[in-house]
Amino acid sequence: MNTRKLALMFLLGCVFVPASQAQIKHIEMRVEGMT
Amino acid sequence: MKQHLGRQSGVQNVDVSLIDGKVDVTPKEDGQIDPAQLLKAVYDSGVSVTRMEVTARGKIVKDVDGNLALQVSPSQSFAIASNDLLKTIEPLADSRAVVTLRGELYRKPAGKKKAAASAPLKLLILEVQKKE
Repeated sequence: MNTRKLALMFLLGCVFVPASQAQIKHIEMRVEGMT
Repeated sequence: MKQHLGRQSGVQNVDVSLIDGKVDVTPKEDGQIDPAQLLKAVYDSGVSVTRMEVTARGKIVKDVDGNLALQVSPSQSFAIASNDLLKTIEPLADSRAVVTLRGELYRKPAGKKKAAASAPLKLLILEVQKKE
């Protein structure tokens, strides 16, 4: 049972860690001609 | 423009300040957003972008020519323009280290009424926020 849990955690880690490691967090733009 | 930007892929929220001429875009949780597409979307709505800044987390990689880039996803990376701050992260190239950078991705060239929105975006580092 513990082995299954560990395997599941490992798989979930592989799926979610890369997505949380790298990403664009915020974008700010300065614009002109906006009414 | 707010609605137009909000419809773009990967956009969670758009805040527009008419007084400051400032547009804040919050990406969705996965951070899969294309700044070039946003730039184009703003131009398409008849507004001119003078400056675009991003805060992004990713790995420093070297391309085939030896130039450094910030890789934010397996399919998305931004070439980094050379400045003093680049030297501080250069040793991290092609390592497992993850950095959070704030940088200027676009600035409207001086003297031009409208810049080419299709020009490749290059990241000029303004601040290294975190090295992990």
